[in-house]
Amino acid sequence: MGDFLANHAPTLTHWLVLTSALFSIGIYGMLTRRNAVGVLMSLELCLNAAAVNFVLFNRYLAPTNLGGAERLDGAVMTIFVIAVAAAEVVVGMAIFVAMYAERRTVDVTRLDALKD
Amino acid sequence: MLANALPTLIFYLLAAISLTLAWSVVTGRRILRAAVSLMGVLAASAGLYLLLDSPFLAGVQVLVYVGGIVVLLVFAVMLTRTTELLEDHPTRGRQLLGGAVALTFFGLSYCMMTAPVFANRALTALPKNDVAAIGRALLDTGENGYALPFEVVSLLLLAAMIGGIVIARKPAALVKSEVHHG
Repeated sequence: MGDFLANHAPTLTHWLVLTSALFSIGIYGMLTRRNAVGVLMSLELCLNAAAVNFVLFNRYLAPTNLGGAERLDGAVMTIFVIAVAAAEVVVGMAIFVAMYAERRTVDVTRLDALKD
Repeated sequence: MLANALPTLIFYLLAAISLTLAWSVVTGRRILRAAVSLMGVLAASAGLYLLLDSPFLAGVQVLVYVGGIVVLLVFAVMLTRTTELLEDHPTRGRQLLGGAVALTFFGLSYCMMTAPVFANRALTALPKNDVAAIGRALLDTGENGYALPFEVVSLLLLAAMIGGIVIARKPAALVKSEVHHG
């Protein structure tokens, strides 16, 4: 058991399969959810998967000719992604609250004021 | 041997947990339960950061994502009173469309992931103190520094804060009429 696990350590491809599976689930949620808050939650899944990917590429693919061991660009980008996600949720929540006060619903299939 | 086996075990455990919870985020009919599942996915991602030797990012993830963003989402659910509305199952057409788009994305990226450039890559070494290194990178004004994006993000956060207040507050006329009518 231990030997089997030690010989099957996850490679970069395994990690990428995991993060893109999470991203795909997020896409599915964005297209099927009717509640606007649910759509925002699915979007957070996608952002989170992308943020993990930045760290992954930093750990596995940092170009050594640029001093790969010393570079942390992926980690810095992940911090930016988290900051932008926070800003986005704040504005999204404000919009949903204002929309609910105005229209009494946050069902995205009924919010079609821009349609015609 | 055990030291090699344990990270593998933790990786597959976290992968199973986050995929299961992510599925319940997008398909659960109770939106508050979906928010709790989202919290689990994000906490599992903090564990993935720990596996990738980035304890600082794991901390940021727990502080900002699990502690801040999920709480904001729960507020959004409560303030729009969507807890009472059980979400219907999506129509067959939407399910098919969503599944087709998601599977196409996954298939395309899977084809890219199996490219030789990604195979047999070993972990690169990290600086000894990665918190200090991240801090230096964020404040470095040189060629590889991130001082300008860092300032831009701080402006973005300020703009989001002001925007959130302005968008969500009641219009002045409405407040006045409430004062008049008691």
